[in-house]
Amino acid sequence: MTARADAAEAAHREAAVQPGLEPEDAALVARLVPPVPSPYHRLNPLTKAAIATAGSLAAIVVGGYPVPLLVIVAALVSAEIAGLLGRLVRVTVAVGLALAISIVLVSTLTRAGETVLFVIGPFDVTAEGVDFAAQTLLKVFALSLSIGLFTLTTHPRALVADLERRGVSSRFAFVALATIEAVPAMVRRAGVIAEAQRARGLDSEGGVVARARGLLPLVGPVLISAVTEVEQRSLALEARAFSRPGRRDLLWAMPDRGAERALRWIVGGVLLAVVLGHLGGLV
Amino acid sequence: MTLELASVSYRYAGYARPALRDVSLRVDDGEIVGIVGANEAGKTTLCLVASGLAPASIGGRLLSGSVVADGQDLARIPVHGLAERVAIGFQDPATQLSGATGSVIEEVALGPLNLGMPGREALERAHEALDALNIGDLAERDPLRLSGGQGQLVVIAALLAMRPRHLVLDEPTAQLDPHGTRLVADALRRLAAVGTALLIAEHKTDLLDELCGRIAVLDGGALVGDGSAASVLEDPRLVDRGVAPPSRVTIRRAIEAAGAAP
Amino acid sequence: MTTIAIEDLVFDYPDGTRAIDGLDLSIAAGERVAIVGQNGSGKSTLIRHLNGLLRPTVGRVLIDGQDIASQRVAHLAAVVGLAFQDPDRQIFAGRVDAEVAFGPRNLGLRDGALEAAVSDALDVVGLDGVRAAKPYDLGYSRRKLLGLASILAMGTPVVVLDEPTTGQDARGIDRVRSIVRSISTDRTVIAVSHDMDFVAAEFGRIVVMRSGRIILDGTPADVFAADSWQTLATTFLEPPRAAVAGVEAGVGATPTPEALATALRAAGRGASDTDATDGAVRT
Repeated sequence: MTARADAAEAAHREAAVQPGLEPEDAALVARLVPPVPSPYHRLNPLTKAAIATAGSLAAIVVGGYPVPLLVIVAALVSAEIAGLLGRLVRVTVAVGLALAISIVLVSTLTRAGETVLFVIGPFDVTAEGVDFAAQTLLKVFALSLSIGLFTLTTHPRALVADLERRGVSSRFAFVALATIEAVPAMVRRAGVIAEAQRARGLDSEGGVVARARGLLPLVGPVLISAVTEVEQRSLALEARAFSRPGRRDLLWAMPDRGAERALRWIVGGVLLAVVLGHLGGLV
Repeated sequence: MTLELASVSYRYAGYARPALRDVSLRVDDGEIVGIVGANEAGKTTLCLVASGLAPASIGGRLLSGSVVADGQDLARIPVHGLAERVAIGFQDPATQLSGATGSVIEEVALGPLNLGMPGREALERAHEALDALNIGDLAERDPLRLSGGQGQLVVIAALLAMRPRHLVLDEPTAQLDPHGTRLVADALRRLAAVGTALLIAEHKTDLLDELCGRIAVLDGGALVGDGSAASVLEDPRLVDRGVAPPSRVTIRRAIEAAGAAP
Repeated sequence: MTTIAIEDLVFDYPDGTRAIDGLDLSIAAGERVAIVGQNGSGKSTLIRHLNGLLRPTVGRVLIDGQDIASQRVAHLAAVVGLAFQDPDRQIFAGRVDAEVAFGPRNLGLRDGALEAAVSDALDVVGLDGVRAAKPYDLGYSRRKLLGLASILAMGTPVVVLDEPTTGQDARGIDRVRSIVRSISTDRTVIAVSHDMDFVAAEFGRIVVMRSGRIILDGTPADVFAADSWQTLATTFLEPPRAAVAGVEAGVGATPTPEALATALRAAGRGASDTDATDGAVRT
């Protein structure tokens, strides 16, 4: 990272801090703002969400080759600006590979068509099938790259703080964050519970049938402890006035600039134009 | 400034029997009062009722009596207003941390922010609370990556930041290792020295022996003892109530028993 | 005759944390060993190696002279029963006896043998009167005893108890002490605990861990002797009060009140030598 890049990041984080704090506190809070190492990271969360949504919708609704390819290229270029190209590709492939393979198989082998390219067993592989598979693959990758880019460049707390700043209630904000955390928390809990049951002879290294029989001793305690934990957390949070109505002050929130607001309108406009154009037969 | 339970009986929703029966207890300014009793004797219920969370937040019914903090009946205060009067901490630091903040100082400032304070004031309170517990150096740490003892101190700091007049702690050291217990005990002693009123439910009578001026004993939901820490902890009936006396008492009794033999 | 030998054990968690940093430990058949140390000392990691939940990064775990590396957890559960600290991470059945039956059933017990194992275990922990009750209708103390019974019913020659007294009230602790005494007549009992009084009274051998290593290993009298206090202090552990009082009275580090009393009597001192107001022994 160049010194100029670091300075840009530092300046952005300082700008995120609420005005009116003591200078030492302002510096402290600036350090606590999530890192934003690239210009793409530094876009406002809502802007990044708009871009991800527009890209996904355009690719899915319009389909074909040009639009999804454009979205894919745009996402990869943005990822490169964000310094995340390698990571984004790895994550997308890891998550989407299984889906992609099944799509390819199902489409090419079963899609009815006229131009038979070759035959595998009882299946005719047609040009139409290959075409369909290719288009679907592009949609899947356009979608996952767009969403992946958003999640890799936007910290959940930054997103929630931004929503809160725009008027979303703080209680909703908390629920949103808790939901994002809920899956990893439940996975951890399930791991802890699995240990206890395995110590009682529950066979998790055996065959499929054995593992299926082992579900109830795992699911039961996971659910009960999840509920208990939610109950306890709600009570503890009540004790800290979480349920008080009205807005609360935020120590920091990602800045929003006029240029980005304009960008969001443009992105929305382009999406609309593309969709209408498609429906009208132009694209 | 007193916290007073007057003839309180409380029953959880869906239960036939009351969990607390006619309990009267008073905590004065600067006092540290301990609560002991067997599991299910009502310690947690007493803490929840004393802080107003029962019935306001968890339901159930106050069958009789009232809980009054500094002249205000807790039943008449909305739930989010309770925190500034009586704050309550529980055993497990993990479920008391919001999980919504990335640093200890943000976590501790959360309560004041929820109360509607501007950021500047909230941070001032947060620094104050961290300093009171000697954990200023944890300010920028991730709350979820602390040891149990440290996490519990952050929770207590988060409660203190709301400047409650009374602090209720339900078995604050139950899930901590000896080091964590020591950290919390030292912190509580420091708090008491500056006049915070504390009500602590605990099994560790050695700990209460160090900290408390007064101890109340619960058995089956009723208060069966309330007096100076020394007199309560040396009462031979304590064991029947399901409470282990502190080590100094067991040692003395063992010596007396051996000495008494011919 | 089940012996346990741990050789040159090193264990790293996936994130790189070294939890065990070179450890050798031998436990003979029928021994009663307590493992103490702060959270993070590696004691929980260590006991998970005994039944295969964790596998060594370096080193070996041998049971009866055989390396257990190739044995599945489900098989090792027949040899080493591990009772975890939190009963609520494993309870899933609708009845106490069904819950207890889970472990032995996994080990292949049926009919009469299964019934006997369940009844005996419930007897030992004192829950025979509530065998038809719903586990969550029992209070926390008794649920912890239920967790213990679930492991005892498996009849393993080695029983490992993870924090058996934490969260228990006085009656519960008494019950745990008598359970430890009764089961250790024909089994090896290993306990991980913070409770120095419990450990000093019920275990013939104490192993003290710090930062993934063993720093003290001996009888309670050895481990709590005055020249070990500095070592104990490095891991923020304190010897039981009786040991401190004994040393101050010149009769050695007597680990329990009873041992102290006996030692004082043998030294010709009696009840009159105690300061009645604080139990300290007048020297």
